[in-house]
Amino acid sequence: MADSTKRCLQRIMRLIPSYMLRTTLEKWGRFTVEQQKSIDFTRSKWALTEVLLSICEENKFAMKHLTGLEMIYIMDNPNQGMWYVLQLLDPEDDAHSVELMQFKEQFKSHLKELVRHVSIKIKKHTDQAVWIRIAWGDAFSPPNHLKPTYVVHYLQTPSVFVTNLTSKQKPLLSQAMLLSTRHQAIKDANLSGRNLTAIRDLLMRKYQQVFPTKSPSPLAENNQTISNPLIEKEQAEPAANRLHMACKAFGGGALPQLQSAVYKLETKFRDHSNKTMTEREEPFRCVVKFASTNLLESLRHCASSGIASTPVTPLLSCIPLKGRNYFVITDNGPGPSSQTHQPQN
Amino acid sequence: MSLLKPFSRLPGLNSANILLVEREEQFQQSLADVLVEETTFTVNVRLAKSLPLPMENEESRPRIDLVVFIINLTSELSLQSAEASLKSLDPGYFLGKVCFMVTNARSAAAPIERLDVARKLAASLYCPLLFAEDQTPDGVTNATERLLTILKVAAGLVPMATSLYLSNLTRSTVPPDIEQPSFN
Repeated sequence: MADSTKRCLQRIMRLIPSYMLRTTLEKWGRFTVEQQKSIDFTRSKWALTEVLLSICEENKFAMKHLTGLEMIYIMDNPNQGMWYVLQLLDPEDDAHSVELMQFKEQFKSHLKELVRHVSIKIKKHTDQAVWIRIAWGDAFSPPNHLKPTYVVHYLQTPSVFVTNLTSKQKPLLSQAMLLSTRHQAIKDANLSGRNLTAIRDLLMRKYQQVFPTKSPSPLAENNQTISNPLIEKEQAEPAANRLHMACKAFGGGALPQLQSAVYKLETKFRDHSNKTMTEREEPFRCVVKFASTNLLESLRHCASSGIASTPVTPLLSCIPLKGRNYFVITDNGPGPSSQTHQPQN
Repeated sequence: MSLLKPFSRLPGLNSANILLVEREEQFQQSLADVLVEETTFTVNVRLAKSLPLPMENEESRPRIDLVVFIINLTSELSLQSAEASLKSLDPGYFLGKVCFMVTNARSAAAPIERLDVARKLAASLYCPLLFAEDQTPDGVTNATERLLTILKVAAGLVPMATSLYLSNLTRSTVPPDIEQPSFN
């Protein structure tokens, strides 16, 4: 087996944790039943790598078989690495009728025209997502399978999720995507995160939405039935109002696990007690980053417990509304009400 | 401004009403769950985040026998919220019907100055200052027992004892060397 293929297998073995190995190999299905049975999964990773290497040599596997194994693992465990979202704009008339076979052929042919040596693998996942694995090479070197780019796209939606894409590869990928999905422009959607399912759910609003109602929300009534009748909350109504407004802004139930939100401020410094800073012409540049294991859950709790004022400020509620977590905030121009900032972009 | 008045209503038979005021709204819930398990008399617990209380509940609210301010010493806002709520309390309450309970006094995140401020506050108002541990069920039970002792007197369920009489014994005092730096 070629050296590069061996290294690819070693990299895959490093990626896959021991407890997932058996199931992933079974899903891959390229080993015979006897070969699968002969592997002792209790041995160390290093020993297992040697065993798998010998079986792959026996079966005369090439790079394309191994990349299939890697892809199966990544498709089932997408919540690693950093995913960025790109957005397709200006669809042409036939953009809504692009279907899978056409997309696959177009994408492969366009990318191969742009890059001489490139290895592309396209698969459709059970939830209709199209997964693309790209190993990049150039005019003089073969594709590098140790640093593949993964792209996830739901046909007929404008979002494209990418991971592991360098700035040199980005224009090539963008061009191929535009031509194969029949759009005219592509831009950065300003949304990123480690958890692919979370950013996808956020963009496609696959979490429980709460709509404004005039009658008391069922959330407040649920709480009262389980507590003791001797215990009474004095401020139950304002608390229920706060909870309702927080859920309206962020959603009810379990929320997608976003890890951070970054606000880049390019606003002028405002503090009347500090004349030297306020007199400067240039904006006071500063970056505010909110980080948490589940940011939307934390923000919703801040609003419902009164830490953040309700109704929820548009600076926070536009994270789920617009599906972004990177904002650039500039002043809206001089005026008497210059205390408010307007998010732009 | 609507003040909470101690004697504006008639007392209930064999029952006591306690109001727990806490900005974080955490410890008060666990205290309430244990307080209502008292069997010798009925304990009605009312929970609030801060005072003044909403006007809508004015009619249905019974006579409050004891107001407990729960202060989390790791948070400055907790102390400030309690201080601000004091203004909405009728002065009649400060004759033994108000109690301060502080949590997390041993925590490294709680500066010693804040405990001193809480102590001085309780001492200036002639109220008891109780220390509680809110993370374990034992801590909650202990805190509940101490509150019940004061509540029974404040509700008039203990013969020959009034809350003013009890407050002479339980009120917090400031040690004379509070301004001196302490050794940790």
